[in-house]
Amino acid sequence: MTYSDREILVLTIAVTVGVLALITLAIVLNKAWREAREAFDRRRRAALEPEVFRYAGAAEARSIREYLPLPLTPRDRAIVEAILLDVAGLLKGASRERIATACEALGLAAEAIDGLGARRWWRRAEAAEKLGVMGSKQAVEPLVAALKDPSDEVRMRAARALGRIRGRTSIRPLVQALSDPSRWSAIRLAEILIGAGDDAVDELLQAFDGLPAHARVSALDVLGRIRTPRAADLLRRSIRDPDADVRARAAHAMGLLADPGFAGALMGALADEAWAVRAMAAKAIGRLGAQAAIPVLAERMSDREWWVRSNAGDALRALGPAGREALIRTLDAADTYARHQAVAQLEEGGIIDEYVADLASADAARRVAAIAFVEKVIALGRVDRLSHQAVEHTQEGVRRKLLEILKAVPEGAS
Amino acid sequence: MIDWRAILSDLVLGFNDWVLWYFGALNSFYVILFLVSLYEVLRFVKRTFFSDYEQILKSEMTWPISIIVPAHNEARTIVETIHSLLGVNYGEFEVIVVNDGSTDDTLQKVVRTFDLKRTDRVYRRTLETSDVRGIYASLEMPNLVVVDKVRGGKADSLNTGINVSRYPLYCSVDADSIIEDNALLRVVKPFMEHPEEMVAAGGIVRIANGCKVRDGRVVDIGLPNRMLPIFQVVEYLRAFLSGRIGWSTMRSLLIISGAFGLYRKADVVAVGGYDRFSQTEDLELVLKLHDHLRRQKRRYRIVFVPDPVCWTEVPSTFRVLARQRNRWHRGLVQSLWRHRRMMFNPKYGVIGWVAMPYFVLFELFGPFVEVLGYITIPLAYMLGVLNFDFFLLFLIFSIIFGIFLSIAAVLLEEISFRRYPGWQHLAMLVLGGVLENFGFRQVLSLFKVKAFWDYLWRRKSWGRMEREGFRQAPAAGAGAAGAGAANAGVRPSR
Repeated sequence: MTYSDREILVLTIAVTVGVLALITLAIVLNKAWREAREAFDRRRRAALEPEVFRYAGAAEARSIREYLPLPLTPRDRAIVEAILLDVAGLLKGASRERIATACEALGLAAEAIDGLGARRWWRRAEAAEKLGVMGSKQAVEPLVAALKDPSDEVRMRAARALGRIRGRTSIRPLVQALSDPSRWSAIRLAEILIGAGDDAVDELLQAFDGLPAHARVSALDVLGRIRTPRAADLLRRSIRDPDADVRARAAHAMGLLADPGFAGALMGALADEAWAVRAMAAKAIGRLGAQAAIPVLAERMSDREWWVRSNAGDALRALGPAGREALIRTLDAADTYARHQAVAQLEEGGIIDEYVADLASADAARRVAAIAFVEKVIALGRVDRLSHQAVEHTQEGVRRKLLEILKAVPEGAS
Repeated sequence: MIDWRAILSDLVLGFNDWVLWYFGALNSFYVILFLVSLYEVLRFVKRTFFSDYEQILKSEMTWPISIIVPAHNEARTIVETIHSLLGVNYGEFEVIVVNDGSTDDTLQKVVRTFDLKRTDRVYRRTLETSDVRGIYASLEMPNLVVVDKVRGGKADSLNTGINVSRYPLYCSVDADSIIEDNALLRVVKPFMEHPEEMVAAGGIVRIANGCKVRDGRVVDIGLPNRMLPIFQVVEYLRAFLSGRIGWSTMRSLLIISGAFGLYRKADVVAVGGYDRFSQTEDLELVLKLHDHLRRQKRRYRIVFVPDPVCWTEVPSTFRVLARQRNRWHRGLVQSLWRHRRMMFNPKYGVIGWVAMPYFVLFELFGPFVEVLGYITIPLAYMLGVLNFDFFLLFLIFSIIFGIFLSIAAVLLEEISFRRYPGWQHLAMLVLGGVLENFGFRQVLSLFKVKAFWDYLWRRKSWGRMEREGFRQAPAAGAGAAGAGAANAGVRPSR
């Protein structure tokens, strides 16, 4: 049987109109159903919420089953679960444990544990997420097993849930999971491990050498942010690691620990071949307040990499009067970038403004020093801030003197 | 003697047959694109149930971002835009406003409002740009920088912003657009998930006509009260939800809207930044990135993320719409011509075999086919070869199919993001989806044919957008209605 073009077209139109009608119906029904369900849930929630709150706030050991109208319909059960999960996020200590007990008593924890074996990945992920919020200790073993789930989202949820439940047994798989290549995973795991605090340190130290480089970077980040002195030896070792990212992160962690004993290692790292390590080391020295590092930092102001120059400048600024003197001396450096970076740092630190204010000082020595300083900055051609002050400064004497110097010294003379 | 009538009749009939095939191929492609998008949207909605944006916000490992805002004569909206950007929900970021030789008081307004001072900021001039006249910063707001430069166009301003920026990722935002508070957190997520591969990500552009804005934030989402902008709301939904999601899933997204996109700076610098001579610098940049990265044989991702939202105003008159679409289409012609070697080139994979041919065949020449179709119908009638019955059925089918595509986009919106909450919104969107097939689409095709003609005759104009300004929600201290003349940078076309 053959069809004419006309018949094919009529058939296609009929099919398209049918699909169009179905889609329109789907839109309308979906919206209507959603809105009706939301309205129903709002009403039921208003009825059930006070009972759950009464249970959560009660001192006695009565079960949640005594507070709720049993048996619960499937919808009410879902609403009670949602309320318990919402409340769990707000509570701590014994009250928090009462939520875990309620979830176990109502069979919600067991249901979620079953959910970890669901066929769809998002159901498993949802179950893991719920178990973490419920805080039921029954869930630890199933969640540890879920760390081997084929879906990364489920693994991550399980890791996070374990972190929330905070069983000591849960730390090790989290540390191992740092090997996951995704930065997103690393961030989430790092947050969990930092939340675990000191409990995570031993596991991290023990597992460190067996981790791949990117996981060692995350581990160092966690140790630095926990600020544990127990990591000091590891950090000293890691700043000599063959991997540049590991060295950079070790330098960063040293800065976070702010132990003056790291100064030597960090000064050495300022000569590292990788610019990221030099930049991190400079930043860390600023945090340590290591005065001995001033000459090396001043030298790094001529580094070929902008971030190193910038961090060295920041560090010098953070090192007080001696650092500030070093910045001023850098105005005479042979390297143009170093001189310009020094001006930027002096400007950002308000030091240029201080000298400008001294232009009208009653103290002759300060006045002379201020003039010499301002002339030097002008000679470098970095006159934006000075030009602004020449117009905006509150003291008329300062404005006049500054204008006079600006006119007299040729810009960019040096 | 030559029978001209017979030849002409054969030509018309031949063309009509060809159009049938063309129409079939185009609409089959649209259906495939829609199905891919539907699958991806459902998957995305399930994934975003577990969003964890709070963690991205708090983590020290989250990439810091430089937000670059090119501004030319934006005095009426720029302060509100900056306030809105400084208030975005993100950890470490800087806002770089590039004043591109404004002739109004854009710079003065910003300097005065934020108490900025000229600074001697040191930066590397990695990309060639027109001269920078000064850099302004504030001690109180260390993450705001304003660069004042000689007029060089939007692409030049973005390049300047890239030079001055400090962070490894940068986000381009139009000065007259509003990004939602969590937009950066959402758009950066793919970079966190695939740090080695991610190169660029674009968010969805939604239409602000009809929305109420307070302090640089959309506080009440609504639809415009005129049909022309409503048609564009449907058009944008179709383009972003069933177009870009599909292309992105097939790893062949060719455009990220200039109004809102996040890029890895090193890769953009590697391709020489934005092209100052391109009519549509955003499309050109993405094509350059694909070209460069494919030749390098690198594994990379350029993706569309459907939930970070950027609100922008669209033309509410045909005159302004014509100018805007003229520029977009000229830009398309220009970029496709420049990158023609990517067509059917095995080195470029799906881009060379599917995306580029699609854009050339359907986006570039589609309007010609459509307009020629309109011309051949009366011709066929005059020649006595018009099968009126068949023509009528074909016309009905094309209209119904057009409606189907629009309603399908509304469906995607309804099952996913539901930004238009009311029943009256839904009714208006459906009505818009139906009515746009009676005139609006045909007019757009004419605009595009005209644009092609202009391109051939090297007529260049930016296609200045005249804006009415966002509707301001009443609030204590709310500023005057924001309105500004600016360049549009979104292209909803598939």
